[in-house]
Amino acid sequence: MEIRPILSALLRSRTGAILIAAQVALTLAIVSNALFVVNDRLALSARPSGVDESVVFHIDLSPTRDIDDVAAMQRLDVDTLRAVPGVVDAAWSNQVPMGMSGWGLGLSHKEEDESLVLAAAWASPDSLVNTLGLTLVEGRDFLPSEYHEFDMRRGAMHAESIIVTRRTATQLFPDETSVVGRSVFMRTPAGFLPVSIVGVVERLKSPFAQASDNAWSGYILPIRFLGQGTTYLVRVDRPDAMPAVQRDAEAALLGLRRDRVLANNRTLSQVRDVRYAPQRSVAGMLIAVTIGLLLITGSGVVGMASLWVAQRRKQIGTRRALGATRAAILRYFLTENALITSAGIVLGLILGIVLNNVLVGQIEMPRLPLTYLAGSAAVLWLLGLVAVLGPAWRAAAVPPAVATRAA
Amino acid sequence: MFAYYLRLGVSNLRRNPALTALMLLTLGVGVAASMATLTVLHVMSGDPIPHKSERLFSVVLDNGPDGERGPSQQQNLVPYRDVRELKDGAFGLRQTGLYGIAPAIDSGRDDLPPFFAAGSAVHRDFFAMFETPFAAGGAWTDEADRDGARVVVIERRVAERVFGSAAAAVGEDLVLGETPFQVTGVLDGWSPLPRFYRLSGQDPFGDSDDVFIPIAAAVDMQMDPSGSINCSAGGALEPGFDGLLRSECSWLNYWIETATVAEADALRDHLRAHVEEQRRSGRFPYQGEVVSARNVMQWLDFLQVVGSDVRLQTWLAFGFLLVCLVNIIGLLLAKFTARSSEIGVRRALGAPRIELFKQYLIEAGVVGFAGGALGLLLTVSALWLMASQSPNLEKVARMDGTMLGATLALSIGAALLAGLLPTWRASQVRPAAQLKSQ
Repeated sequence: MEIRPILSALLRSRTGAILIAAQVALTLAIVSNALFVVNDRLALSARPSGVDESVVFHIDLSPTRDIDDVAAMQRLDVDTLRAVPGVVDAAWSNQVPMGMSGWGLGLSHKEEDESLVLAAAWASPDSLVNTLGLTLVEGRDFLPSEYHEFDMRRGAMHAESIIVTRRTATQLFPDETSVVGRSVFMRTPAGFLPVSIVGVVERLKSPFAQASDNAWSGYILPIRFLGQGTTYLVRVDRPDAMPAVQRDAEAALLGLRRDRVLANNRTLSQVRDVRYAPQRSVAGMLIAVTIGLLLITGSGVVGMASLWVAQRRKQIGTRRALGATRAAILRYFLTENALITSAGIVLGLILGIVLNNVLVGQIEMPRLPLTYLAGSAAVLWLLGLVAVLGPAWRAAAVPPAVATRAA
Repeated sequence: MFAYYLRLGVSNLRRNPALTALMLLTLGVGVAASMATLTVLHVMSGDPIPHKSERLFSVVLDNGPDGERGPSQQQNLVPYRDVRELKDGAFGLRQTGLYGIAPAIDSGRDDLPPFFAAGSAVHRDFFAMFETPFAAGGAWTDEADRDGARVVVIERRVAERVFGSAAAAVGEDLVLGETPFQVTGVLDGWSPLPRFYRLSGQDPFGDSDDVFIPIAAAVDMQMDPSGSINCSAGGALEPGFDGLLRSECSWLNYWIETATVAEADALRDHLRAHVEEQRRSGRFPYQGEVVSARNVMQWLDFLQVVGSDVRLQTWLAFGFLLVCLVNIIGLLLAKFTARSSEIGVRRALGAPRIELFKQYLIEAGVVGFAGGALGLLLTVSALWLMASQSPNLEKVARMDGTMLGATLALSIGAALLAGLLPTWRASQVRPAAQLKSQ
């Protein structure tokens, strides 16, 4: 009912309206894309590792000279760790979930097949299932008789059994529900090694923690790897005991021998924080940009609406004197703002898609789902409404007597 | 007149303080967001060795069965056997092989327990090629290079930690693992950003190396590489370090410095000749192009050292600045419109439009300058915040003179741009209409 006069008034003084609409459009384009990236990065950094992270830490020692009795050292270290009060289990490991460096070896379900499934290769002479608190969805953990020793400087790698993650089981055998008992081939530097699957764990995040689902590709080998560096994973009985147990474990290991130094002693939560610090920092920065944009656009609406109210005091007074109610004045400004914001939003939807296309071309970023555009549009529409409330209220408060005054 | 308008502009900032504050804050925040991200991008994508980056080439030899490998696998590029052959071939001015090591430094002092150092095993040419600054001493000799002498060049911080000072370190023995190495030189805090010469397994913007030893010594002592080893080319891998040396696994960098930029093609021909030679013994099964030599900037670009997230942030930050600009246009419009009557009086008294245009544009410039000062402050705090949030941004979130000047220029430029429309509108005010309504 009131739209026609509002429109014709708008068309007479276009500049301010265009500025506000442009601002709304740009804000919508940026905010929808920014929030999409924020969600993407936060979802990535929150992906489960399959490990009970609140009660697991890893402790790394580096030798300052060559150690000859590596196997004996590893055994003594793990026994020492298990004897620390509060420790549930400990395991030597060749790598740490999300630790950013580790092994990847190809698996195949046919021998000499070069179309390999690349997966993180875990090796431990102890039970990673028990130490990391992994969930076995099929089969069993390794039996004591299945463990082998491997010294890279002397011989070739050997194993008969393997535990795979559910992701890798699906990669190898996409159509099968049960894979225990199946044979697969591991590509080692010395050739293809046949191994039999004895168990499947639900999840175990790789050291690389890729952005794709391959982050959960992996398998465990029952192998004592005789290398110089040592990494131990330790599980503690309850989260609040972690700091004390970490301290005791460090002291116990360093007390055993003098020819090594501590390289790391971190909880898995800390490992996760380090791994995803860049993602979280991007998300934080984009959230800051989003808040800043909304504040600035809001203040722009307030400023412009205040200017219009100030300019039209006399007209408002005249309308009031001619019988318009306060509600009618309020409605006028709200409708006017809604028209401008809506025009900006329509433009912003197009701009948002254009910006997304530019970003997709410039950086690897998926296409923007329409829900983000719709959600951001709703937020901006509400923001415009809230921002104009104050000035519109002041407009409604203009007394009719203003019409009778000189200037 | 300029000085007078400038004074007017400054004094007009105080009129309508709420509006001015909003304007300065908007401009400051927009400028700070853009400049903080731009600073990071600027440092990250900078040329670490500008005067000769076009003459330094990193070599990739693809010895696999099916052609070019992906970037993630190409950080270690050359098998040891090729490094040895290429070094003997001695093409170009200088050349060096390179791989990462992580030896333990044992000072033998009770107050300083053994600690791990990051280092590189290199050829002697390394120091002259990359123009590493020496605080004391110098590179080792050619003989040391050939014989694998136990000599070492260390970074100043290591010298100070172990020997007390840079000068005191030269000639002394530094124990790496269990072997004493004689210090021939001390580097004076050499830390190129990004650390282009060895990017494998490292944060390209992280700490620089502590120690450098001859490759022949590192190989002789069977020091394992601290970066990754890529064995995807296939072929036999016999056990032990000797097996690794004979294998097709790639784990070294190889850099060549040519005398002129134009020599790049000759360099590639030289590498192709090497590959042809090797093919006689059955190596390099892929028959297509397996040789590439990239100069420093091509190399950094190829390895995507500047992450896409950094570019994303920069894009969005400039979008943010754009919104701020639109907002400032509106605010300036409001500010100038409120002074229509004043403009009317000046016009009636004979001021030409161009004078009013100048005056109001200068006023917009003053806003830009003040906003820029605020923006500078906010930029510095934003960079500080970024550095404290994320350790891998610590070295790059730093401002230099160029970026400081750019911040102010951006702010003033942005304000002038935003001021154009409101200023034009102000100079179009018709004196009659304004005077009548008084």
